[in-house]
Amino acid sequence: MKKSKFLIFIVALVLVFLIGPFIVIILSSFNETAVMRFPPQGFSLKWYEKVFSIDMFRETFWISLKVGIAATFTALVIGIPVAYANVRYKYKGKNFVELIFSSPAIIPGLVIGFALLRFFIYVAHVPITLGLYLGHTAILFPYTVRVVSASLRNFDLSVEEAAVSLGSNPLGAFFRVVFPNIQAGVAAAFILAFITSFNNVPLSLFLTGPGVSTLPIQMLVYMEYYYDPTISALSSLIIILTIIIVQSAEKVLGISKYM
Amino acid sequence: MNPLKSRKTLILLAGPGFIFLLCFFFLPLLYVLMESFRGVDNQITLSRYFDVLVDAQFQLVFKRTLRIALIVTPIAVLVGYPTAYYISKLKSKKKSILTTLVILPLMTSPVARTYAWIVILGKFGIVNETLTTLHIIAEPMRILYTETAIVLGLLQLFMPILILTVSSSLENVNSEVEEAALSLGSNRIGVFFRVVVPLSFEGLIMGVTLVFTGCFTAYVTPAILGGANVLTLSTLMREQALVLMNWESATVIAVIMIITTLILYNGIRAFRPRNMA
Repeated sequence: MKKSKFLIFIVALVLVFLIGPFIVIILSSFNETAVMRFPPQGFSLKWYEKVFSIDMFRETFWISLKVGIAATFTALVIGIPVAYANVRYKYKGKNFVELIFSSPAIIPGLVIGFALLRFFIYVAHVPITLGLYLGHTAILFPYTVRVVSASLRNFDLSVEEAAVSLGSNPLGAFFRVVFPNIQAGVAAAFILAFITSFNNVPLSLFLTGPGVSTLPIQMLVYMEYYYDPTISALSSLIIILTIIIVQSAEKVLGISKYM
Repeated sequence: MNPLKSRKTLILLAGPGFIFLLCFFFLPLLYVLMESFRGVDNQITLSRYFDVLVDAQFQLVFKRTLRIALIVTPIAVLVGYPTAYYISKLKSKKKSILTTLVILPLMTSPVARTYAWIVILGKFGIVNETLTTLHIIAEPMRILYTETAIVLGLLQLFMPILILTVSSSLENVNSEVEEAALSLGSNRIGVFFRVVVPLSFEGLIMGVTLVFTGCFTAYVTPAILGGANVLTLSTLMREQALVLMNWESATVIAVIMIITTLILYNGIRAFRPRNMA
């Protein structure tokens, strides 16, 4: 089919709109002056040096990394069996059960964060770091279920039934027959869930406080007080890192089909 | 009995996930919901809802949030749908590159992404610098910290979601069906509206649902681009809870946000055609 010029024009416009801001922020991070100007004035790497000299950014980066990995791992451990049950079983009320399991993705993160703060921190007196980890696990859970389910649907489960009828125990059959075939899906789920956690603001907003914070929250705090290209530099680093991860994940795992 | 199909195995599989959500998700939400109905003497009351609903600031913010969602969603459809159509027609390599570019705004840190708009829309940002240099305007305009800024930021965030959902549903539209309609004398625009759009309608409805509810509950974009003066429902709730320490009204706003999201979520999806898979 011939493609119309008008369609190509719209697509080009959309791409400029979606990608342009990223180019702008990367260019602005090399500004020499402390006032955010565009096009940038002069060339300097001093804002990058400043990013690494600020302790709070370093500390919260590690907290974000740890919370992200721990929550993603937990969400996968409880999510993979749910995804498996999801694909394998047909029963009455399945739609309702699926709705229950996907509800952390439907309820606004801000509300979940607020509820966890009210209940865990003020009523149950749970330490805030634990609350942060549990909250992140809850919102990542539906992602892991969805991505792993999608991957399981592409696998012919009768192969597993054959293994079981040949005498393998169900758990052994799962790890030796099913799991190797859904590895790519599990890896995609891990990457998507981790990025979701690492970027999260609405939930973390309520579950952070003095001493415990995440990188995005700390960036917001910094922005309230300073208006210089430091955030541009830090944002550029995060953007470049994300591009590398997403690009390689798309190449190896085809991550976009799971989103 | 086949151990792979038994009810016991099902419970063992789904049980841990269910218990986790019950304890760390549903229980806290239920607590907040109950709190919102609790009066001074522990009796059940709706007075907190009345207080919030008659509040002029709440009404203003609610209408603004709705207005923003009503502006962003149609634009996202009008521009995103043709883009999704274009992507779905590409060969695999080009398609992969374009898809990666489109999902970039979804994957990058919302703070980093939104901060870029400050550089673009700020007083000395690209838009104002360009317009003043060209003498189209004498003084920098105020674009940052307005509804327009929020709309732009949300469009960048949610258009990819629409493009992704629509383009995956367009994968199922066979080009041969289009060719057939064309050869039977339909013009290209006719084919688009009478063949392509109906076949991808389900994906479109899903995309619209996600964009609309997403606009309604987004936090980072209005927080950075709207500032303290142009509040939306989520930034108002955060202000009530964490700045003014007004737990009561924050709780009520939280419940109103849940109810609105659920109504929107199920309401828009009710438009799905029944006869389609």
